[in-house]
Amino acid sequence: MERAVPLAVPLGQTEVFQALQRLHMTIFSQSVSPCGKFLAAGNNYGQIAIFSLASGLWVELGNSVLHFSLAHDGPVYSMVSTDRHLLSAGDGEVKAWLWAEMLKKGCKELWHRQPPYRTSLEVPEINALLLVPKENSLILAGGDCQLHTMDLETGTFTRVLRGHTDYIHCLALRERSPEVLSGGEDGAVRLWDLRTAKEVQTIEVYKHEECSRPHNGRWIGCLATDSDWMVCGGGPALTLWHLRSSTPTTVFPIRAPQKHVTFYQDLILSAGQGRCVNQWQLSGELKAQVPGSSPGLLSLSLNQQPAAPECKVLTAAGNSCRVDVFTNLGYRAFSLSF
Amino acid sequence: EVIRKRLLIDGDGAGDDRRINLLVKSFIKWCNSGSQEEGYSQYQRMLSTLSQCEFSMGKTLLVYDMNLREMENYEKIYKEIECSIAGAHEKIAECKKQILQAKRIRKNRQEYDALAKVIQHHPDRHETLKELEALGKELEHLSHIKESVEDKLELRRKQFHVLLSTIHELQQTLENDEKLSEVEDAQEASMETDPKP
Repeated sequence: MERAVPLAVPLGQTEVFQALQRLHMTIFSQSVSPCGKFLAAGNNYGQIAIFSLASGLWVELGNSVLHFSLAHDGPVYSMVSTDRHLLSAGDGEVKAWLWAEMLKKGCKELWHRQPPYRTSLEVPEINALLLVPKENSLILAGGDCQLHTMDLETGTFTRVLRGHTDYIHCLALRERSPEVLSGGEDGAVRLWDLRTAKEVQTIEVYKHEECSRPHNGRWIGCLATDSDWMVCGGGPALTLWHLRSSTPTTVFPIRAPQKHVTFYQDLILSAGQGRCVNQWQLSGELKAQVPGSSPGLLSLSLNQQPAAPECKVLTAAGNSCRVDVFTNLGYRAFSLSF
Repeated sequence: EVIRKRLLIDGDGAGDDRRINLLVKSFIKWCNSGSQEEGYSQYQRMLSTLSQCEFSMGKTLLVYDMNLREMENYEKIYKEIECSIAGAHEKIAECKKQILQAKRIRKNRQEYDALAKVIQHHPDRHETLKELEALGKELEHLSHIKESVEDKLELRRKQFHVLLSTIHELQQTLENDEKLSEVEDAQEASMETDPKP
C-alpha cells in the first residue's frame, strides 16, 4: 500500500512532507488525452499529473508518471478534454492547457477564465464541466447553483441557467435533443434545453418512494444519460429512470452512495463509497464487483478514443493517491500513483 | 574445443574424405605394386573403397533430396498456418462485432423489460375502461332516481301547499262566520233589552 520506508534510513523533512501529502491526497477528476495514450488526473492539492497509459500497459509499473504541475490554487474538481486542449476547473476558474505541451515540463496554461458570478465576493467551486460538441461550448456548474455556458471559440459566457436551489454536483449531456441534465444538492435533476435556455423538466428524485433514502439525504452525486434513460444516484438509491415518462424503473440495490456512474455497452458502471467498481445490468442485477485499491472512488474514466484502441482501459481514482487501471473489466491490472 | 578434438581424431578429415585420400594412395601403390596377386587384391580393395564412396555419395544425394522436399513441405505448412491465422483474426473481429450487437440487443431487451415492469404496475386498460363504464351507468341510474324523487317531492309540496291554503281559507271563513254570528247574537240581545222599557 504505502511506500514502505525502512526504519534505518533517516527521514528528511521533505520526504516526510511528501509521504504525508500522498497519504492525504484525493484525486477528484480524470481525463484522457485525445490521442488516447495519456491520462491526466487532478487532485486536491491542485496538481495535475500526466500518466502515460501506453508505457504503463506494456511496461508494468514502469515510470509512467511523466510529470505533474501545480496547476490550480485549490483542488482540481473536474477536467475535460477537447481535441487539443485539456480544460481543468477548480475553485472558481477554468484553465486551459494544450495537450501537446503538457507532455513537456513546465508548461503554462493557455488561458483561464472565470464565469460571471453574482457577487464578486463569492468564489464558488466548479464541480462539473461538460463539453457540448455541436455548439463547441463548455458548460460549467458548481457552487453558485447556476449553469454557465461558455463558447470555446470566443471565450465569452453566453448563457446562465438558473433554477437549482443548491449547489450542482454533476452534469450530463443528452445527445438526441440537445439537453443538459444537472443534478445537485437540492435533490432535483433538472433538464435544460440548450436552444431556448429554459428548464424543460424537473425530476425530484427524493420524492419517489422507491428510491429515496432519507437517512442519506437527498443530494444527487452522479448522473449519466443515454438519451432515453438516465441513471442517477447519491443520497437516494442508484436508480434507472425512463426520461420520457419520468418514472423510476430499476433501483440498484447498493447501500453506499455512488459518486460516479456511466453507461458502457450494455452495462452500467458505478463507483462510490465502497472500494469496488460495480457493474450492473439494466435489469438491476449486479454483474460484477471489482475491488480497487482506494477506499472510496470518486471518478471513473473510460478510454474509448479511437486513435489508441490498445489503450482501451477503465481507470478509477478516488480517496487515495493511486489511479487503478482495469484493462479487462474483470480485474484490476495495476495502479498508477502520484 | 570440440572442433579441435575432432580434427585430431580424424586426422586428414572426416570419413569420406579420408576414404578418397586412401583411394588415391592405394591407386598409386597399385600402380607401383609388383606381383600379380597383390595387384589383384589391391585392385579389389580399391574397387570396394570406390563402391563404398559411391554408396555414401548416393546416400548424401538422397538425403539432400529429402531435405529439399522437407523444406517445401514446411513452407507449405507455414503458409497454410498463416492463412488460418489470418482467418482466425477475421473470425475474431467478426465475433467481436457480433458480441457488440448482442450486447446492444440485450440492453434493448432489458430496457424493454424495465419499462414493462413499470407498466405492469398500472392496472390493465380494459379493466379500467369497464370500471369506468360501470361507474358511468351507476351515475346515470342514480341521477334518474334523484330526478324522479325530486319530482315527487315537488308534487307533494305543491299538493300540501294547496291543502294548507284551503285549510287557511276555511279557517278564515269559519272565523268570519263566528264573528258574524257573535255580532248577530249581540245585536239580538241588545234588541231584546231595548223594547222592554
